Amino acid sequence: MLKYYFKIWLRFTLSAFQIAFVSRVGAFLFTFAKLMRFGFFMLIVVLIVTQTQSLAGYSLNQSLVFFLTYNVIDTLTQLLFRDVYRFREHIISGYFDYILIKPINPLFKILFGGADPLDLIVLVPYIGLLILFITQLSVTVVTFVSFMLLLINAFLISAAFHIVVLALGILTTEIDHAIMIYRDITSMARFPVDIYSEPLRGFITFIIPVGVMMTFPPKALFGLLAPQFMLVSGVIGIGFFVVSLKLWRYALTQYTSASS
Amino acid sequence: MKKYWMLIKNTWDEALVYRLNFILWRVRVVIRFLITYFLWSSIYSGNQQFFGYSREMMLTYVLMVYLVSNFVFATRTQNIGSEINEGKLTNYLLKPFNYFISLGARDVSDKLLNFGCTVFEFAIIYLLFRPPFFFQENLGLIILAVVAFVGAVGVYFCISVLLGFLGFWTSEIWATRFIFIILLDFVAGNFFPIDILPKILSQILMLTPFPYMFYFPVKVYLGQLTTSATIQGFGVMAVWVFLLTKAMFLVWRKGLKVYSAEGR
Repeated sequence: MLKYYFKIWLRFTLSAFQIAFVSRVGAFLFTFAKLMRFGFFMLIVVLIVTQTQSLAGYSLNQSLVFFLTYNVIDTLTQLLFRDVYRFREHIISGYFDYILIKPINPLFKILFGGADPLDLIVLVPYIGLLILFITQLSVTVVTFVSFMLLLINAFLISAAFHIVVLALGILTTEIDHAIMIYRDITSMARFPVDIYSEPLRGFITFIIPVGVMMTFPPKALFGLLAPQFMLVSGVIGIGFFVVSLKLWRYALTQYTSASS
Repeated sequence: MKKYWMLIKNTWDEALVYRLNFILWRVRVVIRFLITYFLWSSIYSGNQQFFGYSREMMLTYVLMVYLVSNFVFATRTQNIGSEINEGKLTNYLLKPFNYFISLGARDVSDKLLNFGCTVFEFAIIYLLFRPPFFFQENLGLIILAVVAFVGAVGVYFCISVLLGFLGFWTSEIWATRFIFIILLDFVAGNFFPIDILPKILSQILMLTPFPYMFYFPVKVYLGQLTTSATIQGFGVMAVWVFLLTKAMFLVWRKGLKVYSAEGR
């Protein structure tokens, strides 16, 4: 089963890559724009930390690890889940009917059906820089493994967010901005969520678990995350994912195929 | 004038057809503002001075940019490129009205709707967070800021229309607009005042049209510019408005010659 879905994913991804490079100029401009935005934000982080000496107690190097971790998680999720951004169109046009009758899980098709190669291109320097800054920190095997486990947890939460958005898309059809609201909220974690004051910090850490997704992995890497928070993160990740799947299944029962 | 009034009215109604979508758009705008606000608020939590700004001045800057940008940014001109690509421009060319005035009318509607929401949201944000806000009492500076604000609308309108007119020659219209939006965040002063950048960089940026869309009007309001910097700013802004307007009409004339109503 896993091999079957991997082969389908490869086929989807190759097709998506071919489509993305039909217009090479467009692909180049979008990639350039993404790298430019990354560069500008990195400059802001450097400017703020050098001016304030430390950001919520974090050094420049640590602040950059927070920023780069955010970028890696954000870009990887966009790379994998890009088709979610086109889902409303599928619902409105009735194209979703065709997805439902195909011999694959419809959620798989909508989540993974259109990987974005431009995100793959920009992901390479992000990961390279992240590794570079991590090597300048004193990292142990335990903290690094914790970091990696929390990264996986972050992808799980991110997948759950995307599934919730898909379910809302079926239930309301008027959700053009829902995925962008998710991205706006997660962008708060370009900086460690510790800089925000309560109750906002608690809200974006546990209620909308942006902090668990983006800030906890680097904190674990620095050895600043208590073991019980690792456990809480796992519970939140798995719990959120299970709830999102239940919501998706409920949304499917409400799909009326009205547009087709 | 009645036909343009009808355009304003229709654009307003059009925006409210998908109400939940519109509300979610406004939620996005508020969230984006709050992110910037909380970021700077947290950085200034100890009431220190950073980048030559006190907490009060930086938060006023952020709040003013929120007000100004919601008026300046509100536009329907972002659709021009796709309208040209899909041949929908023909609909406008066949109708008995001036294309540029019709663009202006649609923009007026969008600006009224979005700015109305912004004022309402601003009031709620102010009541909830009680941010330190600097109220300018110098009437002369307020008038100058309003003039700069009108100039900002002109600069943004011309650039946005010019980006749309690229549709006459290419279907790659969104990539250039994407770059433009990113530039607005960083070099127009939407995310932070550009004078926190290294001096040479901010001086070069002041020669481009970008800072005149938010940064300059807000700095005039705050009264943080010297007399010579204010005069120079208005001078550069006037040159850009003139050049961009000229370019807009020139590109329009050239574009119409190659327009083939493809897609119709």
